[in-house]
This record gives sequence, structure tokens and C-alpha cells, in this order.
Amino acid sequence: MYHSIFAALSPKASIAVYTNDKEYRDVFSHSKRIFLSDKLQDADIVLITDERTLNNILYWVKVNTNMEKKPIIFVTNYHFLDKSDDILGAFYWRKGRSQLLFIHDRLKEHNITLPQAYQNFMIDEL
Amino acid sequence: MIKQYFDKFIFFLIVLLIMFALFLQVSTVKSTDKLKTQEIKKAEYYASKIAKLIQLRTGKNIDEALKDDPLFRQHLNEALQAFLTQQYQYIFVLQKDEKGNYRFLLDGSKEDPEEYKTVFFPKSKLFDTVYMTQKMQIIEQHEHEGVEQVWLSLVYPIVNENKTEALLVLDLSESYGEYLNNFNSPLMVVVWMMQAFLLLSLILFVFLAYRYYKIRKALIIDTLTSVYKKQYLEEFFNKYRMDQYNIMLLDIDEFKVVNQKFGYESGDIVLKEFTQTLSSILSSRSIIVRIGGTEFLILSPKEEGKVEEQAKKVFDGLKEKKYLIGNEIQYLTVSMSAMSIPEETNFIQNIERLLDEKLLEVKSKGKNGLGVLGVTQLNEVRYSNIDYIKEALEEERLVCLYQPIYETQTKKIVKYEALVRLVDKDDPQKLISPFYFMNVIKGTSQYIKMSKLVLRDVFVTLHAYEDVEISVNVDLDDLDNADMMKLITSNLYENRTIANRLTFEILEQHEIKDYGKVMFYLQQLKAFGSKIAIDDFGSGYASYSYLIKLNIDILKIDGSIIQELKNTPENAKSVIRSIRELAAVFQYEVVAEFVSDKEIYDTLKELDIEYVQGYYLGEPRTIEAYLDKKD
Repeated sequence: MYHSIFAALSPKASIAVYTNDKEYRDVFSHSKRIFLSDKLQDADIVLITDERTLNNILYWVKVNTNMEKKPIIFVTNYHFLDKSDDILGAFYWRKGRSQLLFIHDRLKEHNITLPQAYQNFMIDEL
Repeated sequence: MIKQYFDKFIFFLIVLLIMFALFLQVSTVKSTDKLKTQEIKKAEYYASKIAKLIQLRTGKNIDEALKDDPLFRQHLNEALQAFLTQQYQYIFVLQKDEKGNYRFLLDGSKEDPEEYKTVFFPKSKLFDTVYMTQKMQIIEQHEHEGVEQVWLSLVYPIVNENKTEALLVLDLSESYGEYLNNFNSPLMVVVWMMQAFLLLSLILFVFLAYRYYKIRKALIIDTLTSVYKKQYLEEFFNKYRMDQYNIMLLDIDEFKVVNQKFGYESGDIVLKEFTQTLSSILSSRSIIVRIGGTEFLILSPKEEGKVEEQAKKVFDGLKEKKYLIGNEIQYLTVSMSAMSIPEETNFIQNIERLLDEKLLEVKSKGKNGLGVLGVTQLNEVRYSNIDYIKEALEEERLVCLYQPIYETQTKKIVKYEALVRLVDKDDPQKLISPFYFMNVIKGTSQYIKMSKLVLRDVFVTLHAYEDVEISVNVDLDDLDNADMMKLITSNLYENRTIANRLTFEILEQHEIKDYGKVMFYLQQLKAFGSKIAIDDFGSGYASYSYLIKLNIDILKIDGSIIQELKNTPENAKSVIRSIRELAAVFQYEVVAEFVSDKEIYDTLKELDIEYVQGYYLGEPRTIEAYLDKKD
């Protein structure tokens, strides 16, 4: 699932993903298109699964304003979405159902246009 | 009959059991489906009740009622929570916003309830449908990817004044779905096991049937010629009525010449070709049975033609066939007998015996011939049935006829030969000759029974008529039978005062090996004063050795020698004269049988034969008939 979501978010043939979640790292380590990045500044997409990491990374983003390119931040919790406008989307479980959300305006800010198949998962505001 | 239908019954039973197992399976599945349907109906009922409760508590505009009142929302969430059981996983209320996103209004979850107005689904066509149609929808969630813990969702519209205000979602838990699915699983396991067992039984049954077929084939089909073996006949006649068939018995003439000339291997090939030819002549409904090396029995349906026509077709067809062995052409001829099996015939043995006799007759006339048994002979087949004879003896439907033996010179009756006859069951006037039944009962208890009745009649006659002498026929084998010997000697003892008026005419079926033993038997009879006559002297086994070794009283010249007086009179006379002279030396009396006309009688008189017997002088009749005549 993450492979197709990240592929939709990044046009690159080889996508660098940063995450400190061990389980996710194990999943991505077997991927052909996604490779794990150890450094935030080298990552195309940052996947955040816990609040502490989220706060750290949001602080890092805030501090490094002179970065060439901001990484795309993707989370695994609905409530993380309103922590920062830098978070573009979330994939999470709710009421036994998997949920995928993208914030329309934030994608626009990053000049990301999702394929038609993802239009139903787009919202304007939380 | 039971054996015939047993296999079919077992097969039918297995099929019936398989159908029963299938029925059980279908019933179990239906029962599970019915249970699920009932539970869904129950959930529908709950959903409608909860929706009504929310409507009742929130009034006409649900959003207005909840918007600014977190406490009220909390209160309603707790109310929804009360409905959560193991059966219902989630209960929540969604509302569609202006952008078409579905947001939570209420959530009955105990842990981490969703906050008011948070987004659930950005878009959902299915929820849109419920919004539009205002009709409840059931979603089978377990069929969808990305759904866990939920088996079934009921999406129930909360409608106010024809406007869909919100959707109540009631999720039935996956564990409950599994519980319902597995509710009948023990029964299903039993059904599956039963089906597996029955299927295995069916496979085993088919395998056994196949094995049975192979073994049966080996038992009833002759490997060389591929025609039936004799063992099949019984089975065949269990299925079909005998009297619906014509029967033919054929033997290939001089087949051993083929074997000697070309070897057994070539002989087998010829035999194979012979049966193929035979099959091609016959219809598909006819059967061929190999009953001996070169002997075949053919059964052909009567409706396909008369026995004479069928037998001739076979006989001619086989005669025309040429067999190519190497560079040589070989012809084969057959000797055949045939008959139409009479109605109500039950024993093939009787038929076979008649056909055998007819075949022997054909062979004795030089082979390569066909003999068909006539209607008269066929009607008398039933007389050869052991049950028929047994019944006749039980009912004492037996008579002794007496044929007179005359003193040739005086032409006076000196003795009578007792001859047994059975009386026909349906026609008391009709008497049955021993030709039909004697061989059938020989060696059985019926033979003893018959002998007992004959001896009783003979002694009654001897008692009744003081000046009468009687001779009875006894087979030499009878004397070797302890029961028969006991019967004869006890009768002689009981009637010892008249036993001297009884003559035993000894018949010989085979050569005497132990003269000492025979002498001992004859001595026992002679001890009561009875006389001993050697029957059929001059033919078969009745040889001159008897004259040397046995102490006898009378010689009865074989009928065939007497009959020769008509064909080769001079030769016959010489033989008869020599027997007379020989008898004179040993002081035996001489009796000539088969005196069928005056010419023979006169010749025998001229030859000085002491006693004569035959149809010319007197037929076998009741003793009273002769004694009246005498008077």
C-alpha cells in the first residue's frame, strides 16, 4: 500500500524514505523502488508513526528553513494531520477500516498532483 | 434371485447414502444462512431502534442539537455504548458535509471515541446511495480489503421530514460472523466425513466390481476360444428360461489328426478360427459354450428359427469353412445333435444326456452328420427329471409288467420276466420305459426304493400264483451295494419258501475284475434256491469267461445276435448254434430274446433253442392278462 501511496506522491523512480519505525524499515528494506534514507535531508518522504518523532521532525523542519527542498511528511495517525501544514497526508486504521487522507491545499503547496484514483481520498480541510 | 440383485442393491444403497449426505450438507449450509439472516434482521431491528432513539433525543435537526453541546454528545455516545456487545463491534453516526466528506457526529466506541466532526471517509459512493435512497444498506465487509474486525455493516439512514440527516453505522463483529459460520461446523465435519467415507466406499465398490468382473470373466470365458465355459450355463439359465432356446451339441470330427499333423499350436489356432466361424454363423443372441476339448454346446433363441434350420445352417457353414495351415488347406467336419428344449425343462443335465446319446448315434453312423431329436423324444425329457421320478415313487406310480418266456417246442409259458414301468402323472394309461429314468436314479436312494417296490410286487405275484416262475433283472453293481444286497437277501429270506421260483438275470455294465467276489454274491442268492441267468450273453462284457468261472443256470442270448437272423442268417445261426452247444456242455438252459416274428421263432425252434421270448410271443403285460389267457 505504502509503495503505491509514495509512488503517487513522488515522481522519482527511486524514492528515499526516512522513518525511524523499525517495523516500517523492515517492510521498506525489501522494496525495489523505495530505499531507506538515514538522513532527513536526503529523504524524499518522511514517514512518522509516533508523536515524539513528529515533534522532533517538525522542529527540524522549522529550524532548517533554508533547505533546498522540504521533504514530504506522511503520518500514520489522523490526529497528527492538524499538528502542521507540512504534513501532506495520513494512512491509518479507524473503526476496523483502513483510511487514506490527503489535504488538498498542502499538496498544492508542494506542487503535487495525485493520480485520478486518489481523488476520492482528498479533503480540503480537516 | 437375491444374489442377482445384491450388487445392485449395495450400489443403490451407497448412492442413496451419498445423496443423503449431500442433502445434509445443503441443509446445514441453508441452516447457517438462515441463522445469519435472522441475526441480520435482529441487527436491522436494533439499528432502527437506535436511530429512533437519536431522533427522539435530538429533535428535527440532529446537527443543531449536537453542535454546541459536548455534554449532550457525551451523553448520546454513552447511550450508543450501551448497545455494544460482543456481537456489535462499532456503533457510530456520520454526517455528510457540504464537500461530500463523511464526518463523525457520534461514536459509541469505549476506547478512543472519534471526536465530533472528524473526517471518517472523504468520499463513499455506498454511503451516498443510502443518503440518496434513504434505504438501509448491508455491506459484507469481510469481502473487502482494508477492513478488519468487521464482518458486516448496516448503514441506516436517519431521516427527518424526507431529508437524510445522518447515517447510523452498526458494525457486526468479525468474531460473531465466524461464530455464526462455525455454528454448524461440527455437523459439517460429520457430513464431510460421511461423504468422504461414502466416496471411498463407492471407489472401493467400483474397484471390487472391476475385480469381480475380471475374475468372473476368467471363470466363465475360455481363454483359447473366447467362448463361454461350461460353468456359465447355470448362470445363463438362472437368467433366461431354458425352453426359449434351441440347443445344439457339436464335436469336431477327428481333430486329433490336426494336432498330430500340424502340432498343438496350429491346432489351437484352428480351434480359435473354428469358434470365430461358429460365432459368425450364429446371431448375437446365441451363445457358444465349450464343454470339452472339441465339444461345443450352442444355445440359440427359438424365435430366430426352427431347430432343424438353425442346426443345418451351423452344420453347413462349418463344413464349407477351409482352414489354411502353413501352405496346406484343412477341412473340418462336425458331428452334431440338436433339439428344441421342451417347455418347463429345469435340468440341463437331462438335455445334455439326450443330446449326448444322439451325438453318439450320429458318430456311430460314421460321423460328419447331424441328428435332430424329435418331438416324442423331447416330450419325454421330463421323465428323466429326478424330481419327477421321486414323486412317482413316493406316490407308488409304478407297475411291474411281465413278459412271458416260452418253451420253444411246446410253446408253453414257463416263466415271466418282470419289467418295471412308471405311470405318467397326467395320463395313467401311459407307461414310462426305464430307458428314461434308470440311468438317472442309478446310485441314488430312489433306485433302492424302486427295487424294493419291484421285489414286493414280484413276491406278491409268486405268492398269488403257485405255478408261476419269474425272473428279475439285477445289475452286477447292485450286488456290490450293501443296501441293495441287504434288500434282496432279506426279501429272499422272508419269502424263502418260494424263492426257488425266482431267477436273477445278471446284467453287466463293465468287465468283472474280481470273480471271487461275484461268486460270493451269486452264492448268497442261490442259497435260497434262486436261479442265476446271464443276460445279453455274447455281447459286451458277458463273455465266455463267465462259463468257466461262475456257477450259473441260464444263458440269455443277446438280442442283437437274434436280430441278425434277419440280416445275416447263416452267421447268426452259427453263433447261436455254438452258444447252444456250449450251454449243453455246461448244462445251462438257453433263452433267446427279441423274437419279433414267426420266422425268427421257427429258426430258433429249428436250432433247438429251449426257451424263447419276444414281442411275437407276448408283450410285457400285467400278470393277470396272461393268466386269464392261459386259463
